[in-house]
Parts: sequence; C-alpha cells; structure tokens
Amino acid sequence: MKSITVTVNGVAHGPSAVRDDLSMNDFLREYLGVTGVKFGCGVGQCLSCAIIVDNADGASETSPTCIVPAASFDGKAIRTVEGHAKGGELSALQRAFINHFAFQCGYCTAGFLNEAQVLLERLARTPIARADLERTIAEALDGHLCRCTGYVKYHEAVRDVVLADSALYLRKGSP
Amino acid sequence: MPMSRRNFVRSVVASGITLSFTRLAGAAPLDFDTRETMPGRGSWNPAIHAAGRIDGVAKVTGAKLYASDFRAGDMPGWPSKTAHALMLRAADATHVFRGLDLSALGGALAPTALVTAADVARIGVRVPAFYEGDLFCPVDTTPLYLGQPLALLVFADFDLFDQARMALRDAAFAKFGEETAPVETPGYGAFRFTRVGGPTPEAPDVVSPVKDGWVSPGKFETAPNGKRPIWARLPIPTGQDYARVAAIGEQIRADLATHDPAVLVLDREFRTQSVDPMFLEPESALAWYDAGRETLELVLGVQSPYEAADSVAFMLGAADQAVRPKRIAMHFASCGGGFGGRDHTPFPLYAALAAMFVPDRPVRLANTRFDQFQSGVKRHAFAMRTQIGVERATGKIVAFAADHALDGGGLANFSANVATVGANAALGIYYAPKADITTYAFHSRGVTAGSMRGYGTVQTMTALETLVDEICATLPLDPIAFRRRNALATGGKTLAGNAYIVSVRTPEILDKLEAHPIWRDRADARAGAPAGVLVGTGVACAAKDYGSGADCSLGSVAIDARGMISIACDSVEMGNGIGTAAANRVAAHLGRIADEVATARIDAFDPLGLVTSSDPYRISQEMQDAAQQNPRWVPAISSASTASIGAHVGTHAAAEAARIVFRYGLWPAALDLWRVPKSDPLAGAWRQALWKDGELVMPGLAPLALADLAARAHAQNGVTAAMTHGFNRWAWSSAAFRVDDEEAWSADIDALAVRRGSGDFVRLDRSAVAFPPTDYNRIGTSYASLCGALVRVEVERATGAIRIARAYSVLECGRALAPEIVIGQAQGGFAMGVGYALLESLPPYEGGPGDGTWNLGRYLVARASDLPLHALEVEVLAPVEPDERPKGMAEVVMIPVVPALLNAIFDATGCRFRSLPVTQAMLADAIRTGAPR
Repeated sequence: MKSITVTVNGVAHGPSAVRDDLSMNDFLREYLGVTGVKFGCGVGQCLSCAIIVDNADGASETSPTCIVPAASFDGKAIRTVEGHAKGGELSALQRAFINHFAFQCGYCTAGFLNEAQVLLERLARTPIARADLERTIAEALDGHLCRCTGYVKYHEAVRDVVLADSALYLRKGSP
Repeated sequence: MPMSRRNFVRSVVASGITLSFTRLAGAAPLDFDTRETMPGRGSWNPAIHAAGRIDGVAKVTGAKLYASDFRAGDMPGWPSKTAHALMLRAADATHVFRGLDLSALGGALAPTALVTAADVARIGVRVPAFYEGDLFCPVDTTPLYLGQPLALLVFADFDLFDQARMALRDAAFAKFGEETAPVETPGYGAFRFTRVGGPTPEAPDVVSPVKDGWVSPGKFETAPNGKRPIWARLPIPTGQDYARVAAIGEQIRADLATHDPAVLVLDREFRTQSVDPMFLEPESALAWYDAGRETLELVLGVQSPYEAADSVAFMLGAADQAVRPKRIAMHFASCGGGFGGRDHTPFPLYAALAAMFVPDRPVRLANTRFDQFQSGVKRHAFAMRTQIGVERATGKIVAFAADHALDGGGLANFSANVATVGANAALGIYYAPKADITTYAFHSRGVTAGSMRGYGTVQTMTALETLVDEICATLPLDPIAFRRRNALATGGKTLAGNAYIVSVRTPEILDKLEAHPIWRDRADARAGAPAGVLVGTGVACAAKDYGSGADCSLGSVAIDARGMISIACDSVEMGNGIGTAAANRVAAHLGRIADEVATARIDAFDPLGLVTSSDPYRISQEMQDAAQQNPRWVPAISSASTASIGAHVGTHAAAEAARIVFRYGLWPAALDLWRVPKSDPLAGAWRQALWKDGELVMPGLAPLALADLAARAHAQNGVTAAMTHGFNRWAWSSAAFRVDDEEAWSADIDALAVRRGSGDFVRLDRSAVAFPPTDYNRIGTSYASLCGALVRVEVERATGAIRIARAYSVLECGRALAPEIVIGQAQGGFAMGVGYALLESLPPYEGGPGDGTWNLGRYLVARASDLPLHALEVEVLAPVEPDERPKGMAEVVMIPVVPALLNAIFDATGCRFRSLPVTQAMLADAIRTGAPR
C-alpha cells in the first residue's frame, strides 16, 4: 500500500492509500468517480484512457492510465476530459470536435481531446512550419484508436484550431 | 405537461414479471434519464444550427453516458456501494470440465457469491430460445465452445474484486479432465436460393424464392463428417419443394460445367476470417435486485433493448420465488460503439444473474478487453465457392452458382439469418438470369458469431467483386463496362425474385467511378511508379440491403407552450447519430431542432397500448388477418437498432408524429393567428406552408414564430404531442385515423396516440389498417443502398508494405438527414473495410480469442496511419427528389472497399488473393515468389 496525493483538474485528492498494483484507470474511475477517463483495452494500445500529466517544468504530456499504477502518480497534477471546459465555456478544441462532427460513439473522444490539447500547448511553446502541420498532427494522434470515424474529422478539427490561431501555433512566415 | 422520461410507465407482463422502466420517485436532478437525454437540459445544443451532434456537448465534456460509466452511487435511490462480478470462462473446449479451483484466492479473497451451472439449475433459470445452450458449462461436461462461462464470482467491493482478478489472472482456475471431441450440435441453418427467370426480364420467373418459398435440404451427413447438409436432390418421397428447386439448381451447375466455348466460366474459392466488432467500450452492466420491492434494476448498453428486457424476464420468469423478481426496471445507456455486436448479446443475462445471487447489493459486471475478445459476438468466417458464367460475345452474366459455409461458433445467435442475408447479397449489384446459391451455418467450438456490420454481405460481395475483376481481366473487358452491362436495372429482379422498391442508381455510381481521376489516371499512375514500388488501382461496387424484414419504429414528439420540442424514440444511440437524425427529420415538420431527444425509450409508449403475438417472420396470413382486428395489435412492438435502419426506420415514427403535431396542432394555430376561417380554401393548404428561419411562411401572410404557434396550439387545445408506431416488412404498415371531425389521416403507421393542449395522451383507434402481407417474408430485401469504391495502392516490392495512396467512395442514401454524420459514417466504414482487408484476423479455435489471451496490439485494427487521411474522398449523391426517404448507409460503404483493395493489389502485383486478410507478409511472399494466388 502506498499513500498518494493527486491533483485532478486543479483539485487535490488524498492522501489516499492505494495498493501498489492498483491501476491509475481504476483509481480514477472506481475511487474518484472520474469516468470521463475511459477504459478501452487495458494494455495501453487504444489510449481511450489517456490523461494529461502536467509536469513541474510547465510542459505536459499524455499518459495511458490502464497500464500505469496509481502509485506512480503520487504528487502529480493531471487533467482529464472533465477539466477542459472553463466556467461552462468549452475549449476551442471541444468546440472544434463538435463543429467537425469529429466523433460518433464518443468513447475515444476524451483521449483524442487530451492528446490534441497537449499538442496545442506544445505548439504554443514551439511553433512549427505550416508545411509540417498535418504530419505533426498525424504523429501526435496516431496512437489513439477510433473504431467509428476513420479519424479524418478528428485531424481536420485539430488542424482548424491551429489554423484559426496560426499566429500562436505556427512559425511566422513559414511555408 | 412537458414530456419527460419520467412520465411514462411501461407495464407489460412478460413471463409473469412486470417489465417497468419508470424512474424512482424523488430522483435527484441528475438522474440516469437526464444524463441520457440528449443534449442535456439547459446545455448548449450544437445541433440547433447544424453545428454538431445533438449529443456533442455531453461527449466532449466526459458526461456519464455509457453503461460502463455508472456505479450504484450514480443511481438515485440505489444503495451507494457497488459489488463487482468476475466472470470465469473456459479456455478449453476439448476436455471435460471437472470444476473450479479457486485456491489462488485463499480465504481472504473468497467471493461473496459464486454462481455456477448447478446454481442456476437449482433456482430454475430458463435459457431464452435465442441463447439455447448452457449459460454456464456444467461440471463433468466438455464446454460447448471456447469462452463458455464457467462461473460468476461476486465480490463485495472493488478492492477485493481487483485483488481476486489479479490472483486468478495466471491461475489454472478451471480443472479439466480427459480429452474429448468438440461438442457436436445440429447446424444452425441450411438454405438454397435458386432463381431462373422467364424468357424476358418482365416474364414470371420459372422458379424463385418469392414465387416458390424458401427451401432447405432435409438430409444431413452424419457425424463425423460435420453434419453438413446434403444439397443434391435425393430420391426421397418427402421434401418435394426442395427436390424441385434442387433439380433446377443442379441443372444450372451442370450447364456451367459444359465447357461451352462461348461462355467464360470461372470457378473460385474464397475464404474470409473471423473478426471482432471491436467497439471501443467493452460490454458492461450494472444490476441491483431490491428484495424488499422484489424489483430487479439493470443499467445496460445494448442495441436491442426490447429483446434484452424480454430475455431477462423469460430467464427469471420461472425461477424460485425467492429469486424471481416481480418487476424488472431497465435503464438503457448510450453505447460506446456497436456495429451489430451489441444486438442480441447474452451479456445482460449474466448481469441479471449476478444481481439475483447477491440480493440488495448493486453489482457491476464489466468485460475487460480480453473478456470481450473471448466472449463478444464475432463476424462469421465464410468459406465460399463461386461459379460465374459470362457470355464472351456480350460480356453478360448467363449463370451464377455459389456455396457458402459459415462458422457460427458456439451458439446459434443470428447465424441462420447471416447465412440467408449473405446469400441474398451474393449477386451484389448484378442481374443473373439463372442463379443457385446454397448456404449453411454450422456450430463449432469457436466464439459465437452473430450480427456484425456487413452481416454476411461483406463476405459474399468480396468474393463476388474479386471474381468479377478476374472475369474482366480474362475476357478482357473494362471493369466499369462489365458492371454497366450486368447491373441490375430499376425494376429488375433480385436473387429472391422481387424488385427493389427504392431507387437503384448503379449507372450514376458507375459514371462517377469512371470519371474520377483515380480511375482515369490509373495507367499513368502505374507507369509512373517510383523504383521499388508497385502501383495498382482497384474498383468495386456493392448493393447493401437495409432492414431486417420485421423492423419497428416507435416515436413521439411533443411541443410545449414555449415551443420547446421533445422527441423520444426506441432506437439506440451507438454513435450513429440517431438522435441528431431524428431531430433533423422532425425539424423539417416543426421548424426547429428538438431541445430534448431521448433514445432507447422502449418504455415511453404505453399510451399506444400495443399488443403482439406470434413471430412476425413466421406468422401466417390468416393469423395476421385475424390478429389485426384488435386495433392495438401489431406484428412486433420494438426491434433492435441494427441492419442500417437508423435513418430509414429509427426516425420514421417520430417524423410521422411530427407531421400530425403540425397538421392538427400548429397549422390550426396558424390559421387562428392569421384569422383564416375554416371555410377559406387556404385552410386546407397546410402542405404548402414552409419553415424558414424558425418561422412558418405562407405567401401573402405574416410569418409566424414557432413559439407563438405553440402557445396558440396549447391555448386552443390543439394536438401538441403525438406518438406513433410503424412496422416494416419490406414495406410499411399503413392505417387511417380520425384525429378531428373533418378528414381521416392516412399514414405509414399502425398506431397513434395524441395529446391535446396539456392533457394526457389518448390512443386513437385505427381504421383501414394494412400490414405488409406475410408472404413478404420470402423477400430477401426490397431496400438497398449502393456504393462504389476506388482505391489506389502502393506496394513496396522489397517488403510488401502497402500504402493506400488515394481512395474514393461514392454512395447514395436517399435524403441524408445529417450529412456530416453520413460522411463520418462513410469514413469510418472505409477504415473498417481496410482493417478487414489487410489487418484483422482471429484464429477460429485454440489459439484464438476464446482462450482469453487476445487484445489490441495482437489484434490489429486500422489506425490513422493506415488510411489516406488527406486523400480519402467521399461523395454522397443528391437524393433523386428532395423528399426521397432516407436510406440506410451504415454498412454499405465498408463493403466495396474490401474487394477494391484486393483488386488494386492484383493490379499492382499480379497476385490474386482469395482469402482475408492480405497481410504485409503475404504480399512480400507473393511478390518474392511471383506466384499468383
């Protein structure tokens, strides 16, 4: 057993005593009730369970939760799909996913949102050339599985968020 | 009174148990129904301005929507703690099961309850006929199939459950004894479809399934030959219907075998593999038996809610009194994908059993992905032999014969239906004057196969379209030209001997394919292939039936005094956008998108007072004629959301209800506001009114806002809500109703209730009801959507790595109710087709998913990098007329992608593959050896 404290969407939870082999996915869904985090495969292959981990250096990354022990998140701050909207206002990505009809059943949506959000934040820190945009999006999202959509609209939605705010995400004057 | 999910109580007696779907009194604001009512009260509704799905906000904010999201604490009125059930399944079907060994759990992890075959036998559980077979493998018998349940273990809380499943993960929890042969059972179905047309296309058929009925052989081989049917005509005194058809079928085959030099005959085998629907949310359920109230409550995510309720009630209907609920309350959640795999799944039965064995404790049963592979229904593997004869001079098909064998796995499920649907699709888009097809679905020890997108047709049309490609290469004849010459014309007869009753737009599809740059520039692309890369282009077409031959539509529409619109329907939302499609279809009649859409509401239609009897597929005409004298009788009440019926059937009843609300509620209100007297000819001109920007427009009169119309409709006690039922057996039922004193309302519905003002629903008796004749059950399908596909592939010569460089799908689906969702479904169908053709495969028996070791990673589905994300073009033909009815399209796009890929691979490599999937290793080997496959 280990005592852990995790900050989820800005709210600190814990200290909680967890078994060493309790997965983060079960900790979030069964103990904290954060069911926006989905369970898809349990072996880190579909990433419907992916969340955002905010590192101390200000950078963020996604992590699967199904194959990672809850104990390894002790002291960390994470974000989930429940944390994207602020004050009742959807994020630009959430709006784009809706406007593009990006998802169908929606079970993979949380993972895609988290991955794309991390990508946007990375691009805001390190803008890329316009010519690299589609490839960059494809590389970022490729680990995420969707059985309904064929992925096209997810990628278009992310691209349009970037292009709508190109001064933030793209290198100035880049081809 | 605004319509709400809480206002209706369903009280049908099934198996002596009252099925009920009411909410508990005093429910908290965010009760289950509210969560499941799209888009969620008070939230921004993106569909209002066609800017998204009606469930869009819920799905991007992580709202609790899916059955797997709910725990007991989320359900108002339930105990707060959730127990968890663990299912143990057999990974062996060739040894005798000798019992469980749970020593790995030790004393500390002993389950609260253990449910085995002996336990369910002891309490008198019945197995619904559809799931015939032991629910749990009895001790001292060989499991019927790999993955057959052995036991349910219930643990008091998640921690115990989690520890127990870890302890059992690598433990030999099942003891097996001596080796046996796999369990043999009779086959699931064998049918012969034989049609010989008359001397002209218009002349009556010599023989056809519609004319002569469906026939099955009466004789089967004896074990150990697998009990296959004996198709040849036998000199037996019985079975003359079969003998006559078989004689004609054998003659077709004999003619094909005569080596007539004027006719090119190809005779080929093709095999398809077993695959998993791989919907992303594994099956999950929450169940609670409240012993005090003698009520079983269930939270489920299935495509067939009515069936699930009926099956659970039957299962427990004769159980011991202590474990026989008086009432079953069902709550149906959105599905995290379905693709057929949640239609008639036995999963709800096990969740219900778990609850009955731990009274008063809510219990959750949830598959892991390993469990889902081990137990979820699969797409049938087919073995097919196809013979086709084409006159060399004309390039026209003269005869066609095929034999299909389907591996149905452990339980019958829909195997017989998949066999017949696949057989009826075996001619694809073509007409053949003579055709003879046998099909046989057999039991095996594999995981049960059932409904999955394609439903037999992706298998048979892949065999067909690759064979057509070979025919074209052999004749030779341009593949588009061949299809033009042989396409079934409008009014032409299908294999069953009937014509489609919807548009048949093959010529337009072929024109689009021929003109597309992928096809036009195929030679240049091939010639310009980079060094080390083989480039090829493939084409294929499909005509996909939609509907099951006994489809029901339940829908209601209500408008409150402020103009807020609520819709309820019995269709299930599984990503297909049924809520948005229903809202859009209703908006055409009421001027705006609904504020609330409730799906999977089999409970909301009590005021119709519907009753049914018999089996809609087997009922005789005499029985139907007699039964329909009861104005509340219908051939079936509610059916599964399956067979691509979302747009066509799922939105039908709500659309009909909306028309009635307009005609008898809003239109009289408009006349009143315009001060047009009833005597004015304008009063009857309601069909000419149009909605524009939320206002009702008539030339020469002031536009009227919906809110004003709704307020007036309520004030003058007009019709403010309607609910209807429709039934479709390859045609809609129809009836007339007296809604007011002036005229009878005739429509494609068979039951109607209306609400006036803020009163209660009142059922109206029908007159002149016409149900589709029962011999329509001989029809294979009368509804089909068409799709063509072009793909260009690049195959790396050295490695066999394949890349889809460009692709184009062109389809027609009548009026697209939600065009962006249609495009999305098409793109998803393309991806699933790619996975089926190139990636996905499950070994059928040992070493396959039934052993419980399969998961993603080992099982490959298409990822974005497998697809031409930026070069995938989907074109939807405009409807033939603005109000053409919507046609089903959820399956058709996937189908031609598969043979088009194989045809493109042949074009690139010269290798003809006759089994699926075509993997990189197979490609590399074929290129290396230069061997045509």
